[in-house]
Amino acid sequence: MEPGKDVEMRIPIQLKVNGEDHSLRVKPNRTLSDVLREDLELTGTKKGCGSGKCGSCTVLMNGRAVNSCLILAPQADGAEILTIEGLAERQPHPLQRAFVEKGAIQCGYCTPGMILTAKALLDENSNPNEGEIKKAIAGNMCRCTGYNKIVEAIRSCASSESE
Amino acid sequence: MSYLDVVGKSHPQIDGMEKAMGKTRFVSDLSLPKMLYGRTLRSPYPHAKIKNIDVSRAESLPGVKAVVTYADTPGIKYGPRSEDWTIFAADRARFCGDEVAAVAAVDEDTAEEALELIKVEYEELPWVTDPLEAMKEDAFLLYDDKPRNIAAEYKIAAGDVDRALDESYYVYRDRYYTNEVYQAYLEPMGAVADVDSNGRITMYAGTQVPSMMRLTYAKALGLPLEAIRVIVPDYGGAFGAKMENNVHLVAAVLARKAGRPVKLINTRHDDFIAGNPRVPMYIDIALGVTRDGLLTGKDVTVIGGAGARMVYAQIIVGTACYRVDSLYRFKNVRAKGYTIYTNTVPTSCFRGFGNSQMTFVLESSLDMIADELKMDPAELRMKNGIGANETSVHGWRITSNGLRDCVAKATEAANWKEKRGKKTPLRGIGLSCCNHVSGNRAFFPEFDGSGGIVRVGRDGRIVVYHGESDMGQGQKTVYAQIVAERLGVPLDMINVATVDTDISPFGFGSFATRGTLMGGNGVLAAAEEAFKLLAEVAAELFEASPQDIQCRNGAFFVKGAPEKTIPFKDVAEKASLARFGAPLVAVGSYKPPTEYPDAVTKYGNVSPAYPFGCHIAEVEVDPDTGQVTVTNFVAAHDVGRAINPMATEGQIQGGVAQGLGWTVMENMVFEKGRINNPDFLDYLIPTSMDVPNITPILVEPVEPNGPYGAKGIGEPALNPAMSAITNALYNAIGVRFKELPVAPETVLAELRKRR
Repeated sequence: MEPGKDVEMRIPIQLKVNGEDHSLRVKPNRTLSDVLREDLELTGTKKGCGSGKCGSCTVLMNGRAVNSCLILAPQADGAEILTIEGLAERQPHPLQRAFVEKGAIQCGYCTPGMILTAKALLDENSNPNEGEIKKAIAGNMCRCTGYNKIVEAIRSCASSESE
Repeated sequence: MSYLDVVGKSHPQIDGMEKAMGKTRFVSDLSLPKMLYGRTLRSPYPHAKIKNIDVSRAESLPGVKAVVTYADTPGIKYGPRSEDWTIFAADRARFCGDEVAAVAAVDEDTAEEALELIKVEYEELPWVTDPLEAMKEDAFLLYDDKPRNIAAEYKIAAGDVDRALDESYYVYRDRYYTNEVYQAYLEPMGAVADVDSNGRITMYAGTQVPSMMRLTYAKALGLPLEAIRVIVPDYGGAFGAKMENNVHLVAAVLARKAGRPVKLINTRHDDFIAGNPRVPMYIDIALGVTRDGLLTGKDVTVIGGAGARMVYAQIIVGTACYRVDSLYRFKNVRAKGYTIYTNTVPTSCFRGFGNSQMTFVLESSLDMIADELKMDPAELRMKNGIGANETSVHGWRITSNGLRDCVAKATEAANWKEKRGKKTPLRGIGLSCCNHVSGNRAFFPEFDGSGGIVRVGRDGRIVVYHGESDMGQGQKTVYAQIVAERLGVPLDMINVATVDTDISPFGFGSFATRGTLMGGNGVLAAAEEAFKLLAEVAAELFEASPQDIQCRNGAFFVKGAPEKTIPFKDVAEKASLARFGAPLVAVGSYKPPTEYPDAVTKYGNVSPAYPFGCHIAEVEVDPDTGQVTVTNFVAAHDVGRAINPMATEGQIQGGVAQGLGWTVMENMVFEKGRINNPDFLDYLIPTSMDVPNITPILVEPVEPNGPYGAKGIGEPALNPAMSAITNALYNAIGVRFKELPVAPETVLAELRKRR
């Protein structure tokens, strides 16, 4: 410990991320997105704005899509988090395959957040129509694609969703 | 080319699954051992003298490893096309956002805290944010050697405009304004800079111009060119913005001082206030026409805002002045352009590069002329459009040209005639066309063209090296398809190397819609060479002549005897043995058949091929709120040949969405010398709720100068969108909107006037 340096307050938290348990000690102001990206080195979750507008940081927290940049890590204590890295099991998830095959990915920066939001939608409503899909992803900004192929990709996973 | 195996197919992006799995490491995902985090201190004033900077308290904050200012730089003046930049403001900050100091620390929190400990003494100066104000005689100067803040002037003329307009049946005259908008790519700008024990800098940056920016950065840092290496990881979008920017240089200066790698990624706020947004323009137009609807002459004046220092604004203003002249059969044209310094964030390239601003104006004007002549706007385009194998007024040699096909197919798909015939209140349909280039010889005196390298290993693994940039538009996959086609192998045998200036060819970069045509031709040339070398080896194995060797689906055979094959991998192995282990490396280059334009007349063929497009938009206006909804959109594009149709469609849809945003919702609002909406809450970009179904139509006349007939799509995808929407609004409510964006309040005010 350097002389004169304050002892930083750290809060112990438990996170289950992609099925794995983690015990961490985090500064109280750290966001869930920073803990995922830096402490756990899961950089699939992106940071686009840091203020909960763009949706690139979307993860599933206890099954719900959240902006991880707006969640303080201590608020996530005890939660189950699913990031994009946890979506595929032995095979890519049907959403991942659909996004690739339908040309719904260009730069790919919005993709992890977009796919997780789509998963949350399909988990709740396995056969959404186009309007419902558009509404569900309204909080995920994409600047490359114009959304058309993203909506097609998600639609193609409707009703054939077997999860 | 009677049959193509790989080109022309909608292959999914070769890096798509990596992105879908979250495995792709973008610039902001990179991590190096002992890496520090950088933050930039920016001027809070639009214009101020810097009297003093005290960094002592910041330097002594535990965890801070370097604090830098202008004093830590060689103090050299530089710029991509000018010499008005310094790394950090020297004695004057010229815009709110100007780099004044920077910090590198062990974590972001510490870096941010350190910024607050830096004490800067400013003395405010008068400031100006509007180009028209900045040009006044009594305006306060940003640079003492630029009277009236005129950074550059541009002049071009051909024929006799005054006479042409004089003799016209009708001349439309008006003033338009296109506002300053932000590219809003999802990953902010930044870099990771590392320095080795010899002081050599490696810069990991999301850049469209890895080779070109080295030239400028070497000068800025006072280093020889070879002392900088640029590596381009995957990055989250650009749309023109990610070319030269001080953020990369600040990272390098910090890394040099700290002796450790530094990651400096703009916060979104910093990216808004110090990125490279679009050049705002005031455009005056006079456009003449005969009674039969033949365009006679065009006279324009463009006044564009450069911001506080010159990035590419003067070239963008120049482009606005004359690129559209080669869309129609103009013979009499004149343009004057003024690029003006203002105390605002430096403006630069944004998809369209001046041609989008001017296309908005020209296509709106054509609509007004169509109205005056009681002519179908589509027919007006058909009548005046330049044709294939014609030379334009500025010497542009149009080769393939699908413009009329685009108009015909778009109008058919959109049910144009029927919808124009109906008069539904508050609903309308509008049409616009565009032209563009596929590369621009005028951009850089020394060079245009491309080079490629194809390496075939003993294991048959093929690696393609190019020097351009994949910003998400799908360049990697297109290059892989081109090489796979030429070599005759399945796509999955091709790997595209990360662009690394230590290894990759000098690529001019991805801008001017040049990537597919220029870069594609470069890698194709390399693939040709590779095939020749492989064919020699295969010829020996077959005991045939190299000219008779062919390859398809990964197997070599002799022409005329396709049943006897040797797998590609076997030939590759043989090639390696024949070279005693040296890899088979083929190099190719592409020299485009273009001319550097005449300095005065600007005459000269600047591009090997010219893409064209036609957009049709349908709108609905809410009479209670003034909100404009774009309900349907058809976009037909002459792309020569779509190397990858699905990717081309994606580009079209993305371009249309950006045009939609620009027209109805995007605006960087300057108030008291500052951007008052530097965040996504108040700077709105289209969401899934705002964008309708966009029907892309690919028109493929097959361009002789393009790789497998391809030309570009990137910028043409945007150019006609704005005026298609405002032309639809004119059709809907009879109001001509001449300023972007068209805000709901504006629409409402106009509707109320008419009641």
